[in-house]
Amino acid sequence: MKAELRRARFQSATLHHLDRLVMLASRWTDGHEAEDYVQETYARAWGAFDQLRDPKATFAWLCQILRTVATERHRTRARRQDLLFITELEAAHEEIIASDAPSPLDELLARLDAGRLREALRSIPEDFAEAVELHDMHGLKYREIAEITSVPIGTVMSRISRGRQLLAGLLVRDDAEGVRKEAAVGE
Amino acid sequence: MTEAAAALEHARLQELLAAFVDDELSANDGGPVEKHLRTCARCQREVALHRTLSRALSQEPVPAGSFRLRRRIEQMGPPPPGRNERAFMAIRRWAAPALAAMVVFGVGSATLLLRRGDTSRPFAAIPMLRDAVADCRRATARNFPRKADLGALAEAVPFPVHTLDRPDAELFSTWKTTLAGSPAAGLAYRWRGIVVIQYTVPGDVIRQQPDVGEALSISGYYASSQLGQGIVAIVADGSGTLLMADVPADELKRLIL
Repeated sequence: MKAELRRARFQSATLHHLDRLVMLASRWTDGHEAEDYVQETYARAWGAFDQLRDPKATFAWLCQILRTVATERHRTRARRQDLLFITELEAAHEEIIASDAPSPLDELLARLDAGRLREALRSIPEDFAEAVELHDMHGLKYREIAEITSVPIGTVMSRISRGRQLLAGLLVRDDAEGVRKEAAVGE
Repeated sequence: MTEAAAALEHARLQELLAAFVDDELSANDGGPVEKHLRTCARCQREVALHRTLSRALSQEPVPAGSFRLRRRIEQMGPPPPGRNERAFMAIRRWAAPALAAMVVFGVGSATLLLRRGDTSRPFAAIPMLRDAVADCRRATARNFPRKADLGALAEAVPFPVHTLDRPDAELFSTWKTTLAGSPAAGLAYRWRGIVVIQYTVPGDVIRQQPDVGEALSISGYYASSQLGQGIVAIVADGSGTLLMADVPADELKRLIL
């Protein structure tokens, strides 16, 4: 009976976070493997459920476990820092901010398909993307993100700031490239 | 304010704009940002950018996890009997030797029980940490084995030994020892004027330790400080690594995490 009560408490505290955890896990891997990460996260969380002191922090706690699972399985995963030219994205961001013209972002975002913004976020360096995703898409506070990622809160602040700047640069750069390609095809 | 000072202040406040948008600034920082925004068009555009992106990201759809995953989680069996029970048994098993060790090591060891950093269990109640503290004392009392011979150490233990990948940590001594009944490799480094001891043991041995196993499972590392002595533990590539020194565990984390 006690075990059943514990199971019920665990499920009611954690199961409604399942979809968000799968979404987070897909930052590291796709499809079935992402779901395996989440299942492993729940198995560990259940084993340690008695250690969860603050029910309000359940999602942050699950995120921390998921991050541990993912890190263990991806110890040697390549970092994405060199996949994109950060300086190029910074220059694109600078163009948006320096210009008095209306920002192209609103109009550009209105045209994006659902899910495309999330994909774009995953193309910027991982540390920045993770902080922005945890805050903007999952509603975590800076303090919680600092705990999950084991960095000082000032680092979270700067990662979110820089992450959004790079994301804006990426969107504008990709849009400009798309326009150029379309023009080339038209010619 | 001179032009140079204004530019510096602008750069400083620009760093805070994302946090300002996210309502994460203290009143002390928020006031100057608000004041600066009244006159700085560039920062106004930056704030708009942060607001726009943050709002758009918050509206991204959350794809649903599969029904099968939900079912698997709902039907999970009871948690492995244990961790807590095993930990309790471990405490019971080690209580007598731990007390004996405290008598031998005197007040110094006893004081280890008084304060705890990240978790509540004293080092003396965790077999591997208790043995590591004792071994470290022995090695220090003998002024450490004179040589650092990684080749001989690698042959003496049945698991890979990885040294700290830090140019500022100078390895000066290695030895073989036993922690929690398992063979272990001991390595001593000079780092920023202090001595840091590294123990390497098989990964499953470190995971079996009460508190340590749980911390590794949740956070990926164990870190604790007691009376100025810090211990950090991780498992990587199947080997467990334990670092200890007379500095808080947070300092040691920088060496290894």
